[in-house]
Amino acid sequence: MNKFWQVARHEYRRHVFNRRFVFGLVSVPLAMILLVGLIFLIISLENDTTAIGYVDHAGLLTNPVPAPKPPAPYRQVPMVAFASETDAQAALDAGKIQAYYVIPADYLTSGALRVVHVNSIKNASSQQFYNFLGTNLLKGTDPAIAVRLVKGADITVQSADGSRSLSGNDWFSFVFPMIAGIGFIIAMFISGGYLMQAVVEEKENRTMEVIMTSVSPGQFMAGKIVGDTCVGLTQILAWLLLIVIPILLGRNTIPFLQTIRLSPQTLAVLAFIMLPSFVLVAALMATIGATVTEAREGQQMTGLISMPVWIPYMLVALLMSSPNSSLAFALSVIPLTAPVTMLVRDGLTILPVWQIALSSAIQIGCAIAAIWLAGRAFRLGMLRYGKRLSWRELFAHPA
Amino acid sequence: MSIVELSHISKSFGPVKAVDDVSFTIEKGELFGLLGPNGAGKTTSLRVMLDIFKPDAGSVAVLGGALTGPKKDRIGYMPEERGLYQDIPLERCLAYLGALKGMRPAEVRRRAETYLERFELSAYKNKKVKELSKGMQQKAQVIATLLHQPELLIVDEPFSGLDPLNTQMVKDVLLEQHKQGVTIILCSHQMHQVEELCQRIVLIDHGKVMLYGDLNEIRRQFSVNAVLVRTPVELPSLPGVEMVEPVNGAVKYHLAQGTDPQDILQALVASHVPVEQFEIAMPTLDEIFIRVVQRQGAAA
Repeated sequence: MNKFWQVARHEYRRHVFNRRFVFGLVSVPLAMILLVGLIFLIISLENDTTAIGYVDHAGLLTNPVPAPKPPAPYRQVPMVAFASETDAQAALDAGKIQAYYVIPADYLTSGALRVVHVNSIKNASSQQFYNFLGTNLLKGTDPAIAVRLVKGADITVQSADGSRSLSGNDWFSFVFPMIAGIGFIIAMFISGGYLMQAVVEEKENRTMEVIMTSVSPGQFMAGKIVGDTCVGLTQILAWLLLIVIPILLGRNTIPFLQTIRLSPQTLAVLAFIMLPSFVLVAALMATIGATVTEAREGQQMTGLISMPVWIPYMLVALLMSSPNSSLAFALSVIPLTAPVTMLVRDGLTILPVWQIALSSAIQIGCAIAAIWLAGRAFRLGMLRYGKRLSWRELFAHPA
Repeated sequence: MSIVELSHISKSFGPVKAVDDVSFTIEKGELFGLLGPNGAGKTTSLRVMLDIFKPDAGSVAVLGGALTGPKKDRIGYMPEERGLYQDIPLERCLAYLGALKGMRPAEVRRRAETYLERFELSAYKNKKVKELSKGMQQKAQVIATLLHQPELLIVDEPFSGLDPLNTQMVKDVLLEQHKQGVTIILCSHQMHQVEELCQRIVLIDHGKVMLYGDLNEIRRQFSVNAVLVRTPVELPSLPGVEMVEPVNGAVKYHLAQGTDPQDILQALVASHVPVEQFEIAMPTLDEIFIRVVQRQGAAA
């Protein structure tokens, strides 16, 4: 087997068959599950199931039909009719209801309601009352139309050529690239961190002097970078499986999951821009590892790489309002800002093929250059035990 | 046939000239000593030889030319600063280092098994390298160096950190490799170790070659007119002896100019002194080195 592959294989096995990696693999989905659990907890705290009262002076809620069930995790709030405001007030004072609505006789013309409460009424509860009122106002209308009217407008924006569309129900297509970007960045920096640490360790424990009499610095660094990129991709694949399997399992029972699909554009951005960016970051981390004397010093320097990667998230409002602006284009071709910018834009607009191709070419070119630089830094910095290699030396010194 | 040829090599690190116009050749099958005190430039010379450093000036030929990838597989190098992967089991570490030398997995396993047995490390092959003692790690490093049966073996300070038993074990291995025709470069600051094992040497100090050639020839060049005598009785005073110096339980007679060592032996026999040891006193490499450095200092 080629020595390059030997190095890549060793690097991959060394990290993947390691408790630290397994912990990293499990911790992110666990954190996500915890986050989702926390959201559900907040919602359930928000969801006060104490009844809501109403006094109907307009006669709109005589023999009312119940409101449609709210979507999970919301629970239904009972609606209780009161003959007079005095009765409703007494129930409110006794804590039997969380609030009561007074529907005036001229409601249909004025559209005005009055709500009486002690503690402010939660949005989720008031929404249920409006749904209840709306359903009863539409009593007698075709049920399908009634449901649509209660649900409200769902505007679908479609591109002129019909290739892309986005609607309120299809929010996942917009959110997914952003989440994928965060996942990629986390995996990128975790595996890049492994690589940097491995290089520093090899310097510290003097392994590299032995290695250098077997393989060339370029071959060695390229093998390490590819091995560590595969470590990161394994991580992403495992996370994807943890997302995709529940989606596939829940597809038939949860209608929202049926709307999830990835566009060819998203796949192109992931394959041709994220992947080379992954290699670029890994190579830059390896370069840092080769120039510093200890892992802690290297970690401080990784900020130089992570900062540009996160910049598009800081400018996300600008990118969202004008996804085809000059700023968006510039950020799409600058090496470290390109991956996230392209993913954010991917959720919002049609990316011209030439822009994907140009950005991809720049990423690939920079990744190759970074691998070369890592090899050079390794050669120049490997035997400088306890002494840092300056960036000036890295570019000026003959290797 | 020259296996290694260094020609007018110079290498500086900033203002420090680590190696200054160093030249020497190493013939196939010889056990060659690269000597010098700490910081003399020995390791830098080796690193230039192994293409770890590019020389500022001069040329290097290893195994008949520039050091290429396939040639690296024919070299076994044990650096002064030992380096093994600490976080993986010993057997996996050896397997990886063997694979990087172009060995097939089965071949690595078979040879590693033999060497682990010989170096009494079989019981530790599944332990992480960092869990082994320093001496065990030293032996593991020797195994990693020999695993691929190199033609050229370069060992930098191979005895440092070893107890006498393991030192002897490593010496035996080196001599065994030498008998099998392997060319060995033994780099050390411990002159007596090199003296014991090598036929030819190069002695470097402050980056420059101080001595180079056949060890016996060098010792002869630096020999003084003296004899070493060991007897169980007190030695009588003898004619032609300028100075008497006790050396490790023996006596070194420094002879006057024109006095033949044979005359001293005859005088001892005539005096009925029971002679246990009588030899022409050859200077040790330590003594030669001190004299060379002093001579250099006086010239400067």
